[in-house]
Amino acid sequence: MSLISLAFLLFFIILCIVYYLVEGKHQWKVLLIGSIVFYAFAGLFCLVFISISVVITWFFMRKPDKPHLLITLAINLGILIAFRYSIYFGIHDLIIPLGISFYTFMTLGYALDCYDGKIKPCTNPFHYALYIFYFPQITQGPIGTWQNMMPALLTPHAFDPENIKEGGYRIIKGCFKKLVIAGRLSFYVDTVFSSPGGFGGLTLITAVFFYAIELYADFSGYMDIACGISRMLGIKLAENFNRPYFSRNIPEYWRRWHITLNEWFTAHLFMPAVTSKWNKKAAKAFGKLFPKAKKGTLRTILPLILVWITTGIWHGAEAVYIGWGVYFAVIMLLSFCTASYMKTLKVRIHWNDENVWIRIFQTLRTFIIVCIGEVMFRAETLPDAFTIYHTIFTNTRINGSAIAAALTPFGNGNQAAASIIIVGLLILGLFMTELQQELHPDRVLKHRYFIAGALLTVTILFGMAGQSNFMYQSF
Amino acid sequence: MKNPHVFDTFKRIAITVFFSLLFCLVVVFLKNTCSSMIPIGNRGIRAAIEAGDLKVLFVGSSTFRCNIDMPTMDRVTDGQVFDISYGGNQLVAVSVQYDEIRKRSDNRYDLMVFELGPLMLTEPVSLSDSRVIWDLSLEGKRKLWEKMAAGNNTDLSVMYEYFVTAGMDDLLTYPVTEPFYATRYYKGAKTDEAVSPGREVLENVAFDLTEASLIAEQEAALRELIEKCQADGQNFVFLESPVYYRLQEDPVYQKYLAYFRQILAEYGADHILASDIPFDTHEADYFEDINHMTAEGRRIYTEMLQKELIP
Repeated sequence: MSLISLAFLLFFIILCIVYYLVEGKHQWKVLLIGSIVFYAFAGLFCLVFISISVVITWFFMRKPDKPHLLITLAINLGILIAFRYSIYFGIHDLIIPLGISFYTFMTLGYALDCYDGKIKPCTNPFHYALYIFYFPQITQGPIGTWQNMMPALLTPHAFDPENIKEGGYRIIKGCFKKLVIAGRLSFYVDTVFSSPGGFGGLTLITAVFFYAIELYADFSGYMDIACGISRMLGIKLAENFNRPYFSRNIPEYWRRWHITLNEWFTAHLFMPAVTSKWNKKAAKAFGKLFPKAKKGTLRTILPLILVWITTGIWHGAEAVYIGWGVYFAVIMLLSFCTASYMKTLKVRIHWNDENVWIRIFQTLRTFIIVCIGEVMFRAETLPDAFTIYHTIFTNTRINGSAIAAALTPFGNGNQAAASIIIVGLLILGLFMTELQQELHPDRVLKHRYFIAGALLTVTILFGMAGQSNFMYQSF
Repeated sequence: MKNPHVFDTFKRIAITVFFSLLFCLVVVFLKNTCSSMIPIGNRGIRAAIEAGDLKVLFVGSSTFRCNIDMPTMDRVTDGQVFDISYGGNQLVAVSVQYDEIRKRSDNRYDLMVFELGPLMLTEPVSLSDSRVIWDLSLEGKRKLWEKMAAGNNTDLSVMYEYFVTAGMDDLLTYPVTEPFYATRYYKGAKTDEAVSPGREVLENVAFDLTEASLIAEQEAALRELIEKCQADGQNFVFLESPVYYRLQEDPVYQKYLAYFRQILAEYGADHILASDIPFDTHEADYFEDINHMTAEGRRIYTEMLQKELIP
């Protein structure tokens, strides 16, 4: 059941009514039953596997010692690997349980935190089930932590119109991003990326730019809807996006894009790897190669590579995702290793980071670096991605026929002109809204009703009906 | 609701939603009732009606739009010719378009030329071109929707697209895009100098007709159209436009061509086949793709066609 379907609307209205009618101490039970019903719509097969994961994790982590942790990790990772990477075992067309990558990471995070003593093991299996099943986040995250989520899920929530207002605003904003922006751009992007060899450089650049916007609008749109729904129930979910395309460097970008996944990797993979014995040995070896390098820098090299390749693999088994992970590992390493040199250099050449033009330059540079990486993320195969790079760098011309060719993926000539104008205006609208939020959040707050009304109107009149699948759903 | 803050919040939410929905309703209502009145210079139903009495009126799909050369037709009709065509125009829609022309004018057409597209019988009923929505009156829109609904090809999202979003882009950008579009048409047909992608491309274009099956609503619409023309005493002919030989010789294409002809024969309706005209469908230079002609092919074909059409 998609979050943007009439079936869900009906489900949510009923759930809301029951949720606010029952006594506060029973609200979490309503959420649990509702979440299981929601998940059951994905199929009983999916329900069986998530239930196995929930029961096993809860059962073994009641006593969080090393053997129990290893069993829990092995079973959960085993299920994840078996489903997500079944293609490598020669099994095709396997139905993958909805949101498996997301809920497995929540499960692993819980198990590791129990083992590390950061949290106490949950005594009530139904509480733990609610943590995993909670319907707004199960399909695409955010990957909430036990510490942050459970108090909110178990606390009674009185009906508060502020929650309805804030939640409604987020839902409208999310629908606008998904149905209007992402929905429209997907036609162009899908056409070009399905056969990139047939297009010129300018068309490919346009498609890559559109894909970057589409991916953001789709994924952050989902997050807005999920957070809005949860907010209407009085529960604040962790934020996954913080206007990432306004970042001024790549590390900042990854602190603002898919925040909960990156926090998970930092807490459960990067930090343990940095402090591990094998990494200290490796850092020593690197120290011999680069005697002038700082100890801290040397210790981050292998963990960074590990985290980024794992992030790539988390997205899928295909070579494009691993290539994407390697690309960002290299960029992050370069950024990290050159940080101190760049700092010295900036002082010498009187480079002022606060200068508005320099800020614009840095933002654009970051966006372009991200776009280059996204080519691999979207391309169907690695050779396709290299075709795109090759064409862009060797066959990009800006003239009348190239511009006309760049319009063709919008459809035939009768639709292309209108589509490009509307898409341009919508992207500009999204950009202006995000820019205002970045620079003057108080102003946006002041005009929230007007903005919500405008977004609702545009979504109704220009939304792409029937676009109910989100991109990250497939992960 | 005693808390004034609570009341104020709900009031403001209600006002925001109410005015947004009201605005949308007004825009949607205006679009559906007035779109057919918006002047479109040189294509579509309204422009055809404004052209007055005609010697020849073509009604078909993009095949007509690309394959009929209007300046050539002008010479033999004293300029009294027009082409109403929409992308992927379906028989169901053509039948509604015929009603629309009749309802909105008393114009006389010496000859109406409908498209004999065998594969039109196999198209699931749908809105193939949002321009159809623009050109139909509210009554026409309703009729077409009923036919689509009868074909079981509708759901809420299709309905939403049909009545709300279809044509909205064009409507909003009309002042900017209409002058641009106008340069691309002459009396409803294309004017561009399309060229062939080459024999190699045309020989390798993939198409698969094995899944094609007869759609009852399309057949019913064809029969309805013929009956209406005959009842109105309207002189008409069905024209099979030449397509690249690979498509033309496809067994599925031939099967539905034979069936289309069989229906026409039942009513004694005239038709002109591609094979009746000595146009070389093997010549790659004449085709932009397997359905549509290049500018060169269009001119040569229309020269041949006009002799057959207007003896």
